[in-house]
Amino acid sequence: MLGNRVFRAGIMLSLFAISVALTASITLATAAKPIDYKLATGVSGNLNSIGSDTLNNLMTLWGEGFKKLYPNVLIQIEGKGSSTAPPALIAGTAQLAPMSRAMTSREIETFERKYGFKPTRYATAVDSLAIYVHKDNPLPHLSLAQVDAIFSRTRNGKHPSDITTWGQLGLKGKWVKKPISLYGRNSASGTYGFFKKKALFKGDFKEIVKEQPGSASVVNGVGKDLYAIGYSGIGYRTGDVRALPLKKTAEQRAVAPTFVNVLNRTYSLGRALHVYVVQHPSKPMSKLVKEFLKYVLSDEGQRIVSKDGYGKLPYSLRSKQLSALK
Amino acid sequence: MSTSSLRRFWTGGDIWLWLMAASLTLLLLMTVVFFGIIVVNGLQALWPRQIAVLTTVAGDTYAGAIIQRQKTQMQVKVANRDLNAQDFIWLDRSDIATIHYPEHIYVLERTEYGDFYGFLAANSSDIATYFKTGKLPPRFKQLQADIVAVQEQTGILNERISKLEKQRMERNDTSKSSWGEQGEVSTRKQTSQPLQSEGMRGQLTAQYQILNDLQTELDTYQAKFTAVPSATVSIALSDLVRYYQPNAMHGLAKFWLYCQKVFELLTAEPREANTEGGVFPAAFGTVLLVFLMSITSFPFGVLAGIYLGLYARDGLLLRVIRIAVHNLAGIPSIVFGIFGLGFFVYGLGASIDQLFYASALPAPTFGTGGILWASLTLGILTLPVVVVATEEALRTVPKSLQDSSMALGATRLQTLTKVLLPAASPSILTGFILAMARAAGEVAPLMITGVVKLAPHLAIDGSFPFLHLERKFMHLGFHIYDISYQSPNVDASRPLVYATTLLLLFIVVLMAGSSIWLRARLRKKYKLGAL
Repeated sequence: MLGNRVFRAGIMLSLFAISVALTASITLATAAKPIDYKLATGVSGNLNSIGSDTLNNLMTLWGEGFKKLYPNVLIQIEGKGSSTAPPALIAGTAQLAPMSRAMTSREIETFERKYGFKPTRYATAVDSLAIYVHKDNPLPHLSLAQVDAIFSRTRNGKHPSDITTWGQLGLKGKWVKKPISLYGRNSASGTYGFFKKKALFKGDFKEIVKEQPGSASVVNGVGKDLYAIGYSGIGYRTGDVRALPLKKTAEQRAVAPTFVNVLNRTYSLGRALHVYVVQHPSKPMSKLVKEFLKYVLSDEGQRIVSKDGYGKLPYSLRSKQLSALK
Repeated sequence: MSTSSLRRFWTGGDIWLWLMAASLTLLLLMTVVFFGIIVVNGLQALWPRQIAVLTTVAGDTYAGAIIQRQKTQMQVKVANRDLNAQDFIWLDRSDIATIHYPEHIYVLERTEYGDFYGFLAANSSDIATYFKTGKLPPRFKQLQADIVAVQEQTGILNERISKLEKQRMERNDTSKSSWGEQGEVSTRKQTSQPLQSEGMRGQLTAQYQILNDLQTELDTYQAKFTAVPSATVSIALSDLVRYYQPNAMHGLAKFWLYCQKVFELLTAEPREANTEGGVFPAAFGTVLLVFLMSITSFPFGVLAGIYLGLYARDGLLLRVIRIAVHNLAGIPSIVFGIFGLGFFVYGLGASIDQLFYASALPAPTFGTGGILWASLTLGILTLPVVVVATEEALRTVPKSLQDSSMALGATRLQTLTKVLLPAASPSILTGFILAMARAAGEVAPLMITGVVKLAPHLAIDGSFPFLHLERKFMHLGFHIYDISYQSPNVDASRPLVYATTLLLLFIVVLMAGSSIWLRARLRKKYKLGAL
């Protein structure tokens, strides 16, 4: 089952979140030196990337930047979903496997059977999954239990009643009787699985969720529909929608989906975006892949991250990962 | 209305005439509306818009293009993505105190962060001249040319070094493996290699230093602009694609700019994760794909059609085959895609890799999606249409024609090539046009057989062997899907979606049009067919 695979990833993710939080606190202590990308020698050949569609734009932007530095490198980027990444890495079709979730144990096992060692994971950016409403919607914030009661039919979030109209969320006037129109992602996407685990507490979606083929089309849909609510990465926000602050429980204060809040773990729907590569424990890594990862983790690569609307990695996490690339 | 005319209407068949007219009108209307939406939106997508400066009652000022006006609100593109959190904002119409269109406001198209709207600030003389006359400083031009030249050098060096390193690694691998004596031989050969690569490495580092110096000097060319309301921004001249002052331009100047933008769309590479720049690789991929599809599916389809129509003996088997071919045309295209993936990519491709590209394994060469496999998949997708069209076309040639040819002593082959095929060719072409139009618009099967979001290297280029059929490719249909569902800034990329759709439509019409023209010429030439 897809769900199972995605959920196991959650354990790893929370581990990552802890490490991020730790490193974030260290960052305050150590002054951040600029990490410039230095051109390397002997970089040439084909660089193929297959995987997540959340990371698709980011990979393309990195690819464009990398190609500017090494015009003779042949780059091909394909992004049809996180689940397409592990098979591509295993088959050798791609050297880079961007994933918006962590690999499941079964995927890692298949990888190990082929190569004899585990795949190596590099965190490349911070993402924050936001709940969007139409820009004219006056709703101030939501609690996680409310989000669950809006999107889920199983209500594992322990909200006392099902929420189907805007009036139930406290809106007045013309909103009271209006049913909530739900927008979401298709089940193949990593975003779907992540939201299901974190916001629905592993419950099931209502059948009336309008499943969209891309993150941008969720935002587009919500922006066109006054009574809509939907979830998508914060990088896809436009002026037509508003990202709602979230409360972990009804008593806690509402927290906006900013990257600072993701890194200090007050916002519940944050995650890291990874790139998986094949890194033999004793043999030197492919030069092309190594240089690409170095570029991604450099200041320039991280500037592109925030240009695309995602969050930069904390300095210490970057330097730690870079030292593994030496 | 008299009773007789009423009766004629019901029983005389007039009602059918009316129904036919009505359905034709509906069809025309649908076509016109569909084309209208795409053409209108597609054509105006690239048209330079006026830039308004809006002042609210509260005293805030915004500069931007008014995209749409609704009853109470209006959407304004304020651009300057690096300064503003959002480049599209909504303003309440009642809040707006004044709107004016200053003549001197500039629109800068940049390679990053989208457009910039603002006023020219005080600048050094050569930059001021550039914005007055459009003449780039000569030193700047020189620098740009130098950078391109040096990058070419570094590219060649990089390629050589990586090749040497790869050879060395392979040698190390073989010398470590079982046959020891052989390994010793190769170490002797090896000694000269590291020296060679070290030398090149030094050369390359020197080139990088030069490149770095050139880049630093290039970056000193900065233009200062003032954004609305007040921020002053430095914009590197090398980041600039073009600039214009839409409010000061007259119609003709705008049209000229529009033509330049269309030219850019057709010829330039995409920028900023495909949301800006041109669509050249995608357009090229689409045309090449349809071309490859045509040269594979057309001959096979026509040959099969001829056999089915003329040579095969009528019987149960023929009928079964015919039904099978007809049904094949109705199978969803994604099923063909899956077949293509299984048969061509994993089957044929993997075997080709094992036979000819074993050294590159486990990285596949043909064993992964590519333009060859995608076009072959489209080929079998369109095959049934061509087969059926050929068979039907041959059937419409009068039997008397065939008989008289045979009676005059022509052989069967002569009759076929000299009489039947020419007479049937216009109808065969019709089937082919339909097949081609379908292929050009198909995206689903391509998505699993080789289409990717970014593949700037074309399948045809200057490096040996010139035609790289194993490469992945970009496609206009997929491009539309990608930027409308995946782009991080839907509002900003919407114009490009319409422009790309229009372009795809145009290419399909162009290809179909040229076939129709060819058909008309053939028809004139072989008027016999109409006998």
